[in-house]
Amino acid sequence: MLVKISWRNIWRNSARSLVIIIAIVLGVLGGNFSAAIRLGVERQNFKETVEHQVSHIQLHHPEFIANPEAHYRIEDGLKVAGEISQHPGVDVVSPRIVFDGMASSANMNAGVRIKGVDPEAETATTDLGNLVTSGNYFGEPGRLPQVITGKELADELNVEVGSRIVLTFQDMTGEMVSASFRIEGLYEVTSTAFEKRNLFVRSDDLNELIGDQEAVTEIAVVLHDVDTYRKVSGELQDTYPDISVRHWADMQPSLYYSLEFLNRNLIWIVGLIILGVSFGLLNTILMSVLERIRELGILMAIGMKKAKVFGMIVFETTILAIIGGTAGLILSWGMIRYLNHRGVDIAAFGGEGMGDFGYASVIYPELDTAFYFQVAIVIVAFAILAACYPAWKAIRLVPAEAVREE
Amino acid sequence: MKTVIETKGLSKTYTNTAVPVEALKDISLEFKEGEFTAIVGPSGSGKTTFLNVIGGLDKPTKGKVIIDNVDIASMKESQLFDFRLKHIGFVFQAYNLIPVLTATENVSFIMLLQKRPKEEMNKRAKEMLEQVGLSDKLDVRPNKLSGGQQQRVAVARALASRPDFVLADEPTANLDTESAFNLLDIMARLNKEENITLVFSTHDQRVIDRARRVITLVDGAVDKDETFDRD
Repeated sequence: MLVKISWRNIWRNSARSLVIIIAIVLGVLGGNFSAAIRLGVERQNFKETVEHQVSHIQLHHPEFIANPEAHYRIEDGLKVAGEISQHPGVDVVSPRIVFDGMASSANMNAGVRIKGVDPEAETATTDLGNLVTSGNYFGEPGRLPQVITGKELADELNVEVGSRIVLTFQDMTGEMVSASFRIEGLYEVTSTAFEKRNLFVRSDDLNELIGDQEAVTEIAVVLHDVDTYRKVSGELQDTYPDISVRHWADMQPSLYYSLEFLNRNLIWIVGLIILGVSFGLLNTILMSVLERIRELGILMAIGMKKAKVFGMIVFETTILAIIGGTAGLILSWGMIRYLNHRGVDIAAFGGEGMGDFGYASVIYPELDTAFYFQVAIVIVAFAILAACYPAWKAIRLVPAEAVREE
Repeated sequence: MKTVIETKGLSKTYTNTAVPVEALKDISLEFKEGEFTAIVGPSGSGKTTFLNVIGGLDKPTKGKVIIDNVDIASMKESQLFDFRLKHIGFVFQAYNLIPVLTATENVSFIMLLQKRPKEEMNKRAKEMLEQVGLSDKLDVRPNKLSGGQQQRVAVARALASRPDFVLADEPTANLDTESAFNLLDIMARLNKEENITLVFSTHDQRVIDRARRVITLVDGAVDKDETFDRD
C-alpha cells in the first residue's frame, strides 16, 4: 500500500509532476545528445585518422621518423612484412616506400609525402580505393606511371584526373630524380591537410626510380581487434628490437587523450545536466512535503515509523525520476539512432572549415548501450540525493505539532 | 476493572517560549477499561497537551504515564512509534484521513503497518465501515465524503486494530449538530460493543453530555473529576 500511496501522491498535483518529468526528459535528451555529438566527432576522427591514415601500428627504421628519407629503409622489409602478417592478432599488412619530395604541375609546386604502395594491400589497410571520388584507383598501367592524389592537392596544383605531374625526390644514393606521373584518381578524406600532403603511387614504379626493387620504409599494420594494439605492438617490438614500432596512440597522442578523456568523463556531461534538473526535482518534492505537513504528522502519530516516511518520500522522488529518465533515455536513443544514420550537417553553421582541423562537417552522433545504463544509474542516484532533504524535513516534523497544522 | 492508563504527578512545562509555560501541573489520574471520558476545560487549559502526553506524542517534564505496566514517558522515540501503533487509536480534529486512499484503505492502514494478514485487514475494515454506517462508501476517497463521514472513517480506523484505548482530540469541532450527534452515537455504541476505552478532549457540550466521566482541567491542573450514570 505504501507504493500505492507514493504513486497516488505523485499524481495529486499532476501538472507539477508533469512539469518536472518533462524537465527530466529534456535534461536527459539534451545531455545524451551533447554526449553523442562529442563522442561521434571523436570516433569519426579516430576512424579518419587511424583507419584511413596511420593504421593501428606502424614500423619504421628508427631514424626515419625524424628524417623521412628513402635510405632509412627497413632491412628485409618485405620479409618482415610477411612475418608480421602471420601474427595471429594481425589482419592486414601494407609495406610501403615513403619519403618526402616535390610535386609540380605546369605552373605550381607543392611539398608532398610520396607513398609507394601495393594497391591491393593499401586498400585493405586504409580503404584508399574506396576514398577515390573521381577517376580510378590504379587502373591498367599506361605509358606513364600512375599517381593518386588528394583533391585538395590537385586543386592547389590546378590539375585534374588525366593531368600529368612531375615528382622530384632523392634516390637511394641521394641523387635527385624527377619523373612524370599521370593522375589516375583523386581521393578525399576529412582532413584537408592530409589531402594536400599525401599522394600514392605503385611501390614497383617508385622502387624502380630509386634503384632498389625491395625498398620498404614503412609497414602499416591493421589488427583484428584494435583494443589489442598495445599488446601486439609490444610483441612486435620484442621480435624486431632494431625497428621502431609505434601504435596509433603514440602517433596521435592528442586523439588518444581526447578519447580517453571522453571514455572516463562523458557520463559527467550528462551528469551535470541531470544534477541541475535534480534541484528542480528537489524543489518539487519539497513543495509536496510542505503541503502535506498535517498528513505526514498524522501518519507518524498513528505509528508510521520515520524510516518508512523517509522511504516514502524517496520512493516518490525516484518514481518521478524513473518516469522522466526512462522517457528521456528512450527518446534520446531513438533520436541518436536516427541521426547516426542521417548525420548532422553542421556546414550551415560554419562547419565547412572543420576539415582544416581534421574534423568532418557531417557528424554522426553515437552512444554505446552501456552508456544509457550509466545515465539511468546517475538519474536514480541524483533523484535519491535530491529526495534526502525533503525526506529529512518530513521526518523532522513533530507529530503533535504537525497534526494541528492548518 | 482493569486500569488502562495511569498518570502519576504528570507535569509539562514548555520552555521554548519567551516565558516558560506550565501546561500540565501534577496530574495523577487513572482510566479504567471501557471508560468513556471527556477532558474538558477552556482554551489553554492543557487538554490537548494531556492527550499528547498520554498518547506518547509528547513527553512530560515530570511524572509517569503507565500503560500496560510500562512507563511510556521513559521510552525512546522509536519505541514510542511502535507503542502508539500497537496500543493507541487516534482521532484528530479534522482532515484525519490520507487523501489518496479510499475509505477501506484508510481503515486498513494501521493494520497494514501492524503487518496483519490482508484477508483479516479487508474483513475488519469492511466490518468497521459497516458499523459506522458507511458500507456504501467503501471505495470512496475522502474528498468525496462529508466532514461527518470523514470523521466516522477516522473513528473506524482508530478502532479497527482493536487498540487498548482511543484518544480523540476535539473530534466534533468542525461538525454540524446532526453529524456530531451521529458520530457520538457511533462512538458510544462502539465503546460499549468493543469495550474500548475512549478519552476525548473537548469543549463541546454535546460531547460532555454523553460522557460517563468528565475531567475538568483549569490552568493545567485537575479542577473536577466527575462520574455520571448515562445509562
